[in-house]
Amino acid sequence: MSWTEILSFPFMQHALIAILFAGIAFPMIGVFVLSLNLIPLRFAMMHVALLGGAIGLFLKVDPLLLGLLFCILSSMALGPVSEKMKLGVGILSGYFMTLTLALAFILIYKADIHVLEAFNILWGNILSLTVLDLIIVGLISLMILVMVFLFFKEIQAVLYDREIAMAVGLPEKIFYYLIIFMLGLTIAVSMRMIGALLIDAFVLLPAMAATLISRSLKQTFFFSSLFGLLSGMAGLYLSFVFDIPTSSTIILVASLIIAGCFLFRRRLSGYEKVR
Amino acid sequence: MHHSVELTDVHVRLGPVDVLSGINIEARPCEFISVVGANGAGKTTLLKVVNGILKPSQGRISVLGHDLSLYKRLNLLRRDIGVVSQRSNSIRFPIRVEEAVLMGRYGKIGLMRRPRKEDWDKAFEIMEAVGIRQFCKKLVHELSGGEQQKVALARALAQEPLILLLDEPTTYLDSSAQSEIMETIHTLHHQRELTTLLVSHDSHLVEQYSDKIYLLKEGKSCLVK
Repeated sequence: MSWTEILSFPFMQHALIAILFAGIAFPMIGVFVLSLNLIPLRFAMMHVALLGGAIGLFLKVDPLLLGLLFCILSSMALGPVSEKMKLGVGILSGYFMTLTLALAFILIYKADIHVLEAFNILWGNILSLTVLDLIIVGLISLMILVMVFLFFKEIQAVLYDREIAMAVGLPEKIFYYLIIFMLGLTIAVSMRMIGALLIDAFVLLPAMAATLISRSLKQTFFFSSLFGLLSGMAGLYLSFVFDIPTSSTIILVASLIIAGCFLFRRRLSGYEKVR
Repeated sequence: MHHSVELTDVHVRLGPVDVLSGINIEARPCEFISVVGANGAGKTTLLKVVNGILKPSQGRISVLGHDLSLYKRLNLLRRDIGVVSQRSNSIRFPIRVEEAVLMGRYGKIGLMRRPRKEDWDKAFEIMEAVGIRQFCKKLVHELSGGEQQKVALARALAQEPLILLLDEPTTYLDSSAQSEIMETIHTLHHQRELTTLLVSHDSHLVEQYSDKIYLLKEGKSCLVK
């Protein structure tokens, strides 16, 4: 089956456009997550979105919209609050995660909301994206690319060592908060695209593969985007051909890329030892 | 002439613990000051206070004539203070030596601006002076402990600072590497007319290089040389 046949379906066109944007930009956020160890934040955002969704269902407002809004607001607050309380973002994320989950369950129970309806916010579907979704994905992807291009050296210093970034006289806190905010935004949008549980396909896995073979931050960004795009395109194509879920296929491809990078690195280090 | 660094009756409380309780230290321009003390005596806290990362609960800190409690533009002030922290093994992504050294220029280059030729020239001049020019294309994590410490020193000096803060710069190094890095620091201190504030647990190591030595004990400082 050719791409022309696949793209004769409008929903596949939308999915491909989303993958072109997100595949390139979202893995760059994954590089931030791995460098600054922000993995707990990603889990916290999922549960914040769940609470937003539950409140949305209770108030009869679009649960997805409210979930996104909650993610954006909490990602704006998390950096400054953790700094003020002198707690790491990881610890505070754990607090947010359990608190929002508890509140969501109380609301679901008391307001008699169907649990599956609330949890729907956690399952996205890349094959059901609207034009508005594409505009949002495009805008956020553009924001990420512009941020990395304009502030590469500042981001490099913050990812290398926050204390060093501060010591050389950079406004390190502003960039750290910006990174956390962009992460919240990306997770919120990824949830709509592929579902919270499969966010790693676009955000983390390509970045993990890139860190295995890169020799600089620039290379890490480049390879993470390349792998994000590759796994997205290949996953979309294969899922259509074999009639299997798209998000899971993207993850499988991304996992194979990681395995390939790991083997490549082993071979390379073996070669260097012999040399 | 004002002192480069002056701490007057400085107290620092971290949670329920008084880490520093009455610190008085003066460093005049171009002086090499060492602060020695046992592990946990508050040496790193002291440097963080001088760099404005931690605020004292009491007392006055003056750096390059600015009272830190009143000075709002710490980012600008920090561009004149080079910092070499205790060696960290947590290098989060691969970075070449030349890039790590150039990072010292980032504050002076300004936001959104790319490093210029003169920034690269300065980075290479410092690498030459510190003795790591030959490693410039290597990745930092591929170097030995002593070489990594020289990279940190070169990064701090690439800032062209007026003050150099050194936090246990010889930790984890063998004795020959310790002497080598101390010699390098001392030579560059004189060549570049720096005010150097070094903290260490090893008083013997720093004695021959220091103009003044303070002992940090039970949160208090006392001049011993």
